Amino acid sequence: MTHFSRAKVIMYGFVSLWSLFVMLPLLWMVLASFKTKRELFMDPLGLPGKWTFGAFERAWGVGMGGFLLNSAIVTAASVALIVVVSGMAAYVLARSDSRWLRLIYLLIVAGFAVPVQAVLVPLYQMISAAGMLNSLGAIVLPYAAYGVPFTTVLFYAFFLDFPRELEEAARLDGCSRIRTFFSVILPLSGPAVASAAIFQAVFIWNEFVLALLMLNNPSTKTLPVGIIALGGEFTSDWPAIMAGLCIAILPILLIFVLAQKYFVRSLAGLGK
Amino acid sequence: MAALDINNLVKDYGAYRAIKDVSFSVGAGEFVVMVGPSGCGKSTLLRCIAGLESVTSGSIVISGRDITLDEPSDRGVAMVFQNYALYPHMTVRQNMGFALRIAGQPQAVIDAAVTRAARILRIEAQLDKKPKALSGGQKQRVAIGRAITRAPDVFLFDEPLSNLDAALRSQMRVELGRLHAELGATMVYVTHDQTEAMTMASRIVVLNDGIIEQVGPPLDLYNYPVNRFVAGFLGSPRMNFVQAKVSGLTEAGVQLTASGLDGNLSVSVADAPLKVGDLVTVGVRPEAFRDDPTDGWILNGAIAVIESLGRETLLYLDGGPLRAFDSESHEGYFAVHRTRQITARHSDKLRVGIDPDAVYLFDQFDRAIAWPNAHTTNQK
Repeated sequence: MTHFSRAKVIMYGFVSLWSLFVMLPLLWMVLASFKTKRELFMDPLGLPGKWTFGAFERAWGVGMGGFLLNSAIVTAASVALIVVVSGMAAYVLARSDSRWLRLIYLLIVAGFAVPVQAVLVPLYQMISAAGMLNSLGAIVLPYAAYGVPFTTVLFYAFFLDFPRELEEAARLDGCSRIRTFFSVILPLSGPAVASAAIFQAVFIWNEFVLALLMLNNPSTKTLPVGIIALGGEFTSDWPAIMAGLCIAILPILLIFVLAQKYFVRSLAGLGK
Repeated sequence: MAALDINNLVKDYGAYRAIKDVSFSVGAGEFVVMVGPSGCGKSTLLRCIAGLESVTSGSIVISGRDITLDEPSDRGVAMVFQNYALYPHMTVRQNMGFALRIAGQPQAVIDAAVTRAARILRIEAQLDKKPKALSGGQKQRVAIGRAITRAPDVFLFDEPLSNLDAALRSQMRVELGRLHAELGATMVYVTHDQTEAMTMASRIVVLNDGIIEQVGPPLDLYNYPVNRFVAGFLGSPRMNFVQAKVSGLTEAGVQLTASGLDGNLSVSVADAPLKVGDLVTVGVRPEAFRDDPTDGWILNGAIAVIESLGRETLLYLDGGPLRAFDSESHEGYFAVHRTRQITARHSDKLRVGIDPDAVYLFDQFDRAIAWPNAHTTNQK
């Protein structure tokens, strides 16, 4: 065996082990959602004795449909807001030589350093004072605010390489700056928009803390918060919780599979 | 009225002055080519005309209207970029009609303009394709078509043929010439390629280091360059330059000696305040070397490089201790052009003459003070 192929075997072995490490809990979650409560505790690692969808029915019964819709609305609205705001901001920052705008860019990058937990209380007070508690806007705006720094950095690197001749051609064709952005730049930024959207969608879809804090009304709860309803004070319906989680990850998994190429490309491009 | 007037244009980038007080006019229907080496400011000047760069001072007037501060789209210009700058997400038809769509023209007007431009450029079959499905030449045609649909007062071309291969480039040169004649449009064309400048221009503007060295019809510039820069820039291979010294004064001009060349060369010079001992530069075009020298300077060299092009031959002569300076080759070889096939090999000896009636003379400030007699009698 050559040195190269030995290295390959070691690498593949490591990656396979790591994949198992990540995949096994997910596999357990899927198997658990088909078990009865009794099976789950008697034989936690075994296969379900009888494949039943009862847990899925109970999970759906607590209003998963509504939570799913709320999550979809919140994710779509937040991602749209993030893409438009950070796209425009990054375009201006990438095209300007102003020292002040460079400072603003640094401040945006510094936004990464602020953990959401650190601002939970003031954020809650602000949303409460604005009378937005228990509305989807109560989490859409903070999500967008938290998504903007990362996406701005992503777009900034992309726009630096964007061919300027196209913008100049658009200016000669009579486009204003804003028209150039929406008619020429944004349609040609597909890869950057897709990777930004996927990153943010995954984060927002799964976000729990802010949603728990801002949304108490069952009609506005998102999936991560809504699933908690399946857990009681003294007993929890674990198969139903697992079934709920399976339903919750399905849409995002689908998006990931469809747009996997952009997701990987954006990760690869982060080092720019 | 001139179609385009550039008046005392200055463009600074911080402390660097890219365009230094440039003025010239372009008549209606003229094809003016701005030519010069990289970094001479020709593209900057074109971008200033297009409105893509602001000017530091001076004014730009198109058809009598001062457009110095106008937006690019309000200037009545259309520009063709070096790398086409076609919108990749639009079809050829959409690309060509985009400006009219932005201007809010009715669809019928847009369609008519696009169809007309496509017919002129013979790209009707490509109208529904995306740019990525087109070849380089087709893309360039679409870029030109996009300019035509706008029906501008002045067409601007920024090195539009640089990305094409040699065969396509010469084909497009002919195409552009035809287009200019057909449209009768005013065109300003930037290139670093002196062949494009010589073949297409009604007039050439030679730029160097942000200033205009000379403006005029191609042959005037070729035959009567005002200085050594223009003489060296126009013509391929470049003019051969030899350093010489004034060894005597005659009634008609001066006698010159050059280290490495035997004898004196008597050159007619009118009204040049030269005196014995002055240093001058002698310029000889590659095609001006004589095959059967009897008088003048005689260059005995060895063939260092031979380029047989079929109907013509280029020879690069190693003059031994005598070196051409600022020459086509870094080694200081003399370029000799012959309009026939020559069977020769590397290191073969060759004897050519420098005819006193065929030389250019430049003073110590590189200003031209004498031109070949044939041109002089033709013009003066």
